[in-house]
Amino acid sequence: MYNTVAQIDSAINLLSGWFPQYFTKIPLPNASVQRRPISALRMRFGAGPERRGVLLVGGTHARELMNPDAIIDLAVDLLRSHANGTDIVYGGFRFTHAQVDLVLRALDLWLLPCLNPDGRIYVMTADDMWRKNRRDNPGTSCDGVDLNRNYGGLWGVTQGQTSCAACSDVFCGPKAFSEPETKNVKVLLDQHSICCFADVHSYSELVLYPWGHAPTQTVDSTKRFTTLPSGTCAPIAQAGYKEYMPPRDLLRFQTVGQRIVDAVQSVRGRVYTNEPSIGLYPTTGTAGDYAYARHIADPRLRKTYGYTFETGPWLGSGPESFHPADPTLIKRDAKAAMLTLALQCVCAIELIGWNVLARDREISLLRTVRDELLATTEAGGQWIDLFDRRQHQLLALILSDERLEKEAGALLERAGKLLEDDKAEVLEKDVTRAEAFLRKLAERSGDKEVERDLRSVSSVMARLAGRRSRETIEILMKEPPGKKPGAT
Amino acid sequence: MKRDPKGNSDIRFEATVHAKGKAAASRVVANLDLDRIPDPKGHVRVLLTADDLAPLLEQGVEVRIVQAYPVKPLDPSLIEDDEAAKAKLEEQTRGIKREGRP
Repeated sequence: MYNTVAQIDSAINLLSGWFPQYFTKIPLPNASVQRRPISALRMRFGAGPERRGVLLVGGTHARELMNPDAIIDLAVDLLRSHANGTDIVYGGFRFTHAQVDLVLRALDLWLLPCLNPDGRIYVMTADDMWRKNRRDNPGTSCDGVDLNRNYGGLWGVTQGQTSCAACSDVFCGPKAFSEPETKNVKVLLDQHSICCFADVHSYSELVLYPWGHAPTQTVDSTKRFTTLPSGTCAPIAQAGYKEYMPPRDLLRFQTVGQRIVDAVQSVRGRVYTNEPSIGLYPTTGTAGDYAYARHIADPRLRKTYGYTFETGPWLGSGPESFHPADPTLIKRDAKAAMLTLALQCVCAIELIGWNVLARDREISLLRTVRDELLATTEAGGQWIDLFDRRQHQLLALILSDERLEKEAGALLERAGKLLEDDKAEVLEKDVTRAEAFLRKLAERSGDKEVERDLRSVSSVMARLAGRRSRETIEILMKEPPGKKPGAT
Repeated sequence: MKRDPKGNSDIRFEATVHAKGKAAASRVVANLDLDRIPDPKGHVRVLLTADDLAPLLEQGVEVRIVQAYPVKPLDPSLIEDDEAAKAKLEEQTRGIKREGRP
């Protein structure tokens, strides 16, 4: 069964009305083409300033009916889990109450379940395979703009499945952001600290990341979409053009994408494919590419990791695949994917920095060390990977114990001081304190693999006393976790 | 594909398009601005109206119609009832303290 637009709106109203401690209704500034109001939900637990954000958008393409309902269902699942102290279980996938608590305390979840209400209504009342919005295109007898071709960045370049013809189902519109629906997504990205984004589509069981207009490469940084003309209504003129992405970003897209794939597979065995968007077919002006491209076009903007999910398998025909008679199992897969993306967006250092120190000085310093130093060597990359792999499990432990959280904050503060002053040395007492903290975490985790990773950190820590911060970073850049000193 | 509520496109065809290579089929479909949908075997699958067929065939490709269906609203039996939707939300959130009123 599928919810109507009115039912989705009602769910937003009821959830935000009944549970203001979790939900805030966010009326978006632009009504749809047919003047219907469009609202988002912000979900979080606890007060405080704006947090890292995850934006989940559903219903861009009208006929892909499952995802708006999956996003509302996800909000309800999170609420029930958090309020009742229970885990979320989808088949073989388990998202613990501690993980739910972490997500709701660390993040702002921005849920925009139904981006294209006019299209959804049209699907339910006139044409069940309608894709676009309901724009009346002047001078033609054809209606609709494909909202997922209407975003900025490389708009209006007719690479592959993108068209400047109003009668096409992949019509990009008369200009970038001509449509009120896409403007609403831009508003959310402009006004909030969105770090992770997913535009949730159907079907074909894919986790897509940029780029859609050209193959992705990590070698030639002069090949940027910003150097290409947009709005040409022609394909990219340069033969063999490949779009640049920094290696660290590509690795991040692939790593997080694979975790999403693994999570979905654990639900009931469906194997999604993680690949660049062009793997489906070439496109321009899509939401996922735009979300990521923004910080490249304007370096003042925050980087957002933009994904497109294509939920559900082929079920024998277009209509059945876009809106199967029973979407229950596909929605579970989709919810596992969205939850995993949200968890991957939590940054332990940032959360502790804000919670305990109420500032981002140390966070910025450590981010610089990670991105500009550690990420440049293989050994450094392995330290980043170890941190990424364990941070959420350990963060849940830290947040459950006020003393551990304070101690984490104190260690973060000390790390910041060492990084700020090139001449400052790591003291014996710094090492002792950090080792004691790691021991406590290892004891609490009760997980052999976590203990092993923490031992790797401890063993390198033991050698840092008396060294300046720059030297300690150089050690991490040369020696991967688990390597014995002096070994080759 | 021209799905025009004011026009005559009352039948939709689902088809796969074949040429000497997948790239060639993809190019033809892209050039004609057709509604391409994912295909489970990696073929080039499209949704077409009757008006789309002639220009497609003129490109020298092979078009295999796999299904035809009328343009129609979603099966009403797939649409949730308003009362049932609200009752489901009530049931799912039963026992959770409501701190506000809608």
